[in-house]
Amino acid sequence: MKVICDRAALLEAANNVGSIIPARSPAPALSCVKLNATKAGGVGTLTLTGTDAEVSIQLALSKVDVVQPGVAVVMADKLRAILSAIDDTDATVTIELDDEQCHIKGSRSRFKLFAFPSADFPPIADLAGQSNTRASFAVPAGVLMRLIGRTAFATARETSRFAINGVLLKKDGKKLEMVATDGRRLALCRATIKEKGEEKVASTSCIIPTRALGLLQRVAHDPEVAVGVTITDNRAFFAFAEAGKEKAPQAVVSTTLVEGAFPQYDEVIPKDQDKKITAGRDDLARAIRQASVLTNEESRGVRLAFNVADKSLKLSSRAPEMGESEIELGLSGYEGENIEISFNPQFIADALKTMDEAEVLIELKAPNKPGLFKAGADFLYVVMPVNLPT
Amino acid sequence: MHGGAVTTQTTPGTTPGDPVAGTVASARKPIRVLSPLVASQIAAGEVVERPASVVKELIENALDAHGTRIVVELEQGGIELIRVTDDGQGIAEGELRLALTPHATSKVASADELEHIGTMGFRGEALASIASVSRASIRSRTPQAQGASIIEAEGDVIVAVRPASGPIGTSVTVRNIFFNTPARRKFLRTPATEQGRCAEVVREIAIAHPGVGFALIVDGRTLLDLPAGQTPRQRVLDVLGKELSPQLLEVQADSGVQSRAHAGVLTLWGLIGMPSLARGTLSGQHVALNGRVIRDRTIQHAIKEAYRGLIEPGRHPTAVLLLEMDPRGVDVNVHPAKTEVRFRDSSLVHGTVLSALRQALQGADLTASWQAESRGHAFAQGLLGPGAAGVPSGDPLPRPVVTPAVRAEEARRFVEGFKARYQSPGGSPGGYPSAQATGATSARIDFAALQAATAGATPATAPQTPELLSITPTTRPMQVHNSFLVTQDAQGMLIIDQHALHERVMFQKLLARVLGGASVPSADAPAGSAPVPQPLESQRLLTQVVVHTEPRAVEVVEHARPLLERLGIEARPLGPASVGVSSFPTFLFDRNVEVEPFVGDLLVKLAGDGWAEGSITDPAAMEGALAEVLDMMACKAAVKAGNQLSDMEVGELLATRESIERISACPHGRPTSVRLTMGDLEKLFHRG
Repeated sequence: MKVICDRAALLEAANNVGSIIPARSPAPALSCVKLNATKAGGVGTLTLTGTDAEVSIQLALSKVDVVQPGVAVVMADKLRAILSAIDDTDATVTIELDDEQCHIKGSRSRFKLFAFPSADFPPIADLAGQSNTRASFAVPAGVLMRLIGRTAFATARETSRFAINGVLLKKDGKKLEMVATDGRRLALCRATIKEKGEEKVASTSCIIPTRALGLLQRVAHDPEVAVGVTITDNRAFFAFAEAGKEKAPQAVVSTTLVEGAFPQYDEVIPKDQDKKITAGRDDLARAIRQASVLTNEESRGVRLAFNVADKSLKLSSRAPEMGESEIELGLSGYEGENIEISFNPQFIADALKTMDEAEVLIELKAPNKPGLFKAGADFLYVVMPVNLPT
Repeated sequence: MHGGAVTTQTTPGTTPGDPVAGTVASARKPIRVLSPLVASQIAAGEVVERPASVVKELIENALDAHGTRIVVELEQGGIELIRVTDDGQGIAEGELRLALTPHATSKVASADELEHIGTMGFRGEALASIASVSRASIRSRTPQAQGASIIEAEGDVIVAVRPASGPIGTSVTVRNIFFNTPARRKFLRTPATEQGRCAEVVREIAIAHPGVGFALIVDGRTLLDLPAGQTPRQRVLDVLGKELSPQLLEVQADSGVQSRAHAGVLTLWGLIGMPSLARGTLSGQHVALNGRVIRDRTIQHAIKEAYRGLIEPGRHPTAVLLLEMDPRGVDVNVHPAKTEVRFRDSSLVHGTVLSALRQALQGADLTASWQAESRGHAFAQGLLGPGAAGVPSGDPLPRPVVTPAVRAEEARRFVEGFKARYQSPGGSPGGYPSAQATGATSARIDFAALQAATAGATPATAPQTPELLSITPTTRPMQVHNSFLVTQDAQGMLIIDQHALHERVMFQKLLARVLGGASVPSADAPAGSAPVPQPLESQRLLTQVVVHTEPRAVEVVEHARPLLERLGIEARPLGPASVGVSSFPTFLFDRNVEVEPFVGDLLVKLAGDGWAEGSITDPAAMEGALAEVLDMMACKAAVKAGNQLSDMEVGELLATRESIERISACPHGRPTSVRLTMGDLEKLFHRG
């Protein structure tokens, strides 16, 4: 195998692939990246493959000159380190496999990496090899990223309730929905996709692990690129391909699905909120940030006092033995009675950060009932309040 | 003892039909009245279990006779011979026979007197019981008598009563204990063991009666010689070992101060040990009530409670407590051995002991010291083993001589102690939480070993100087392997366990918040902001988390609702074995503590503590339960060994250290810090 490729493009690809490869593994081959140089019709392609046994990725580089097709399996972190250490004046690097040694050459530097037998590289689930396809559809990368960006932040971290460590992806006809929760808040984002006639399947849902979503966000550059999503019984595939090149996608991310039952989130979304408040997103975000300065571990909550008479919101926080804060804010709309409710400010800040709308709609009912935040037509966010001492 | 034994135990001289004996029914054999000997032997089973119980009964008789000096002699651990000699009132010649008669006593005349017993004995059983299982003789002379008389008995047969020569007072000699009850004889242990128990009895009673002189002579050697008229403090130190003095805190209390209704009912004096003196058994606790050595659960509990958080749960503090109360306030007629008592107002006793001990502990610097392993060792021997007891100065008996063998032994012990500190055995001891499975383990101190070994206190840390010596901030503290903080104070070097200290800090903060009032240690706390008890801040959950648990844990939910509410946990039973949780403390979320396992553990724990049976309304018990749960929370939430801390965090942690009460141990009782004094360091480097 011998290939000459664009150094920067290869580094980026190696970093993306390497982001999921475990740095230390009992089996060294699991810490490797597979480089596969192919040539079809005079066009060379270098495909980088990596996996952490749960999530896997294949990235195809087209800015390459394949001198001799072949496969090299090398330690991913070393490859990344070498590529970033090589003089950045070098536009290209040459990678050449000679027996069990992989030579990486820049203009003034040479590296020799011991390669592993390609048979040792862990098998990668192949889209072609899947039988029980439950759903298959295409969605523009931009839409997918919007769904991920507005939900993934709300997933639980390292909880033993595995189902909420991931994001629910639900497809029902033309409606695509992503939902994430950590038990205290829930984020839901919806999108509509163009339905191809042939895939009239009943509603399908699956839980995508957070790691896979992070990888998707890394890989997606062009919002216009179509992502072919295929959901099977235990895996999901995301193939990023330019229009007309679906057969040769630039990137394929595949992941095992999280097993378990996702909470019945429909029941959690409040339907009868009688206080509806509209606030400027930036103003609210700033006020929340200010109020959260004087919170601490013992007193995490920020009290929000909504006043209908002057359409105002007063935020207050109090950290024992530290201090207190009070921030006032004008509201652009208010229906309903006065209410005081406390939230963990981080939860609100998280959601406001993902919004690009100028205004946010806050719907409330009672101090011990969930608060509902809405932005645009596609985003819902439910936050449970904090019981503050009276 | 059953009917079968009756026939074999019959001795000549018994008169069938004696009304004293009880009856024993047997399926086949006719009902018969027991012979007095058998009846007496059965009764003896309760009073006389082993030589040590004979020693106890005889010393108590000697005390009741107002002896000022009591000499106890033992041979073969008391199995061969026990002799207790006093210089008290003596027994008149004519009463000697009665002394050996069951239920004959000079101490109680009517049932009314049982209401306020002022003597050690009162049942009139001891001498008769002892005589029935041994070859006993009593030589006695009253101050009025011209000479002494002696009575000898074997089983229940009185062999002779004759005049003898001897000083004023009584001397009871008991030989061949259990010679006629082989079954019991079999249960005797080795002479060394029995001797140890006898000696323990002598020491305990000696502590309870500092005014009376005691001597213990074993096989001709004087093991203990305590002069009469000592102060309680002198007596305790003489018995436990003077070298312990710096590690003992004096306690004094009068229940009248706390409870006017019971003014003057209970007074207490005691010496209690630093947490480092705690041990695996209750053997370090000596409690006497009105001069009577007692084992009382209420008091044991109060002691344990006072040390909560200072010692590990499985260990018991060292404490000597002398209590005085109106005899009417306590019933000692509970059990023939009279070590159990029943208090009229046990909560008063509990409260007095608890608050007195707490106060003493809170005022002291309890930082564990590295030093003086040999002292702790001597202490352990002082109570249990022969030969290490305090011999008053000026006594002609030889002081222990430091031989080369002793030196070698000390050196070996030091090396082992050192190894125990710096070698981590298999796992982390005592469920020591570690964020890092590997890595820093080699540097981790084995706390269990340390606790066991570290018994000394620095002379500079006398109990009289209660304020904590502050850390001299000349240098930045150092974090060792992300687990320990090393800094210095006026006395030397301090090694601080970051997890233990943080856990302690969190625990105190939580406790202050939930209980209110308690000290919130923070240097920058605004003055005058009196803390009001508040429930912990809690986060409501989107959907309730279902906790699968055991049925009795489900019952707890209803009973412990007030407790749970204060903790910020909202839960309700969902089914026979499941509980739904709808709120959970925010700070536990912050610390990545999961709802289900935590609440599950909590409920099971509360069920074990008796919450399943009903609400615990007693405020003290509630406080105890809260403390335990908060301890659980603090442990889960504290930084772990292996967590890297920023300079600011280290500074903050050390700043709070100085102001937090009981800072020397994490809530589990492991020490938070260990001090190497300049003396220790010099010793380590052989600087003399």
